[in-house]
Amino acid sequence: MKNLITIGLPSKGRLKEGSISFFEKNNLKPTSNGGERNYFAQIENLPNSKIIYLHAKEIIQRLGDGTIDVGISGLDLLKESSTNLQKKVEIKKKLDFGMADVVVAIPNDWIDVQTVADLEEVSFDFRDKKNTRLRVATKYPNLTNNFLVSKGITQYKLVSSLGATETYPFIGSSEIITDITSTGKTLKDNNLRVLKDGCILNSQACLLISKKKAATLRPFLNSLI
Amino acid sequence: MKSKNYSENIIKVFKKDGFILSEPDVLLDSDYIIQRSGENFRKLMLTFEDDSGKSMCLRPDLTVASCIKYLKDNSKTNSKIFYSGQAYRRSNRPKDKVINDQLGIEILGSKNKSIDDLKILKTITSSIQKIKIKDISIKIGDVSLFQRLIESLKIPERWKMRLMRHFWRPQYFEDLLNRLETNSDVDLVAVDLDKKKFSEMENLDQNKEIANRKVSEILSRFDRKIKDPRSFGENKKIVKIIRDFLKINCSISKLEKTLENFVKRNNLGNSVFKDLSTIKNLSKINSEMVFSTNFGRYIEYYTGIVFEIYNSSKKEIARGGRYDGLLKSLGSKKNISAVGAAINLNNLKI
Repeated sequence: MKNLITIGLPSKGRLKEGSISFFEKNNLKPTSNGGERNYFAQIENLPNSKIIYLHAKEIIQRLGDGTIDVGISGLDLLKESSTNLQKKVEIKKKLDFGMADVVVAIPNDWIDVQTVADLEEVSFDFRDKKNTRLRVATKYPNLTNNFLVSKGITQYKLVSSLGATETYPFIGSSEIITDITSTGKTLKDNNLRVLKDGCILNSQACLLISKKKAATLRPFLNSLI
Repeated sequence: MKSKNYSENIIKVFKKDGFILSEPDVLLDSDYIIQRSGENFRKLMLTFEDDSGKSMCLRPDLTVASCIKYLKDNSKTNSKIFYSGQAYRRSNRPKDKVINDQLGIEILGSKNKSIDDLKILKTITSSIQKIKIKDISIKIGDVSLFQRLIESLKIPERWKMRLMRHFWRPQYFEDLLNRLETNSDVDLVAVDLDKKKFSEMENLDQNKEIANRKVSEILSRFDRKIKDPRSFGENKKIVKIIRDFLKINCSISKLEKTLENFVKRNNLGNSVFKDLSTIKNLSKINSEMVFSTNFGRYIEYYTGIVFEIYNSSKKEIARGGRYDGLLKSLGSKKNISAVGAAINLNNLKI
């Protein structure tokens, strides 16, 4: 169908709920004609559109390759993606849900470490006294690298993590972590503490578009923003 | 002269001066390099995964590759080597080439600083003269002079370490100077809270490890940190001294006198820069030589003299220096001193 608008929405969790209510507030009600687990949906009063529910990370990739035109995903995931991909995606609007920060967290008992400057010193202790590198477990290798290097920390090694990153320092897989947190409760419950100047990114849900489609999407976006 | 003839003639001089061919591996273990250089170096390397999933890279530098070979061969004696080959690394500057032809010499396990530093510089300059390049000029720095200055200043130990560690990153170094000049990085409110925790932790088993750090290690660093004596006026003066030092730029023959004046001007102890014989020894080279304290700040591993040689149109044709810590950071159990230099064939071809 010509002028079909394909919209990618997060397939689960708070981002999904927030996205659906954002569309509903704009009088665009997603309806699914299949079962609850159907990944496709339509918008009642917008016939030339379809919704696909995807993993939030995948929404950014699909915006990049143009298979979807509009999407909602987290700013953290966009900023973590490669610069080549980021060039192809435009942030249309920052939305008022999905608030969370990407932060550097350390074991609470490292009482001598309060700031990134302290961490920098400790990282050199690891190199000079233990002849190893401070290991940083993360799901965000790019954001972490850029942040740490900009703050003068160079003596570290990344350990990639897929989940439950908070456990890494206590099972010997890394010394510190970077992770996303909204209330800080998970970090606290796992005996971790955020560095005073350890906020890497304030993230939130964003309405994103594929840059290639910017012109044809304008009427639709005007109705939305 | 064609570049092949250039290399042949240069190698002749290397051999005549007693350097022996070494052929370091082209493929290196990426993790090994990251372990030494830190994660940020990864984006400069050309890496790929082998079929077992291990990350490998093309040698980013022949000095590092030669050192790895030296350690692998388990060489016991000092080793005067030369190499001729390609190094592969990306650069932040788009104009730079990815593949660089390098031709260089190294003394690994250098026992006598004065003699070996001079030997390297002499061999490199005579090999350049051999290929009929005249009117060269040499720029020299010495990272250890900066360290001697910092050691002599009245600032907390951790600030000394910090300034020395980041000397090779001029931009961040400037940030550090600004921080030293204007504020304290000890947060008094946080310190009060943590003092309570401190006494709790004193009762723990001091050998207990928390994320790879012993309780004793954490407590002693905390203690050192809160006892950090700092006063604002003093820091301003110290930053001024450091800035003044980094402006020194003079011919090598005037270095001693210039440093003397600097010491007097800033009321430092007379012994700060005593024994400059290693640098003075270099003036035996019969070429124009300028000394600059701000020079040699681009490669982390240099620990002593650093030099660059330019042709008459001011193009860099060779560079080198002393790197006493590199072999240890690559896994050697004992300290192995080293000094070396490489000729940039790409700039000779024109």
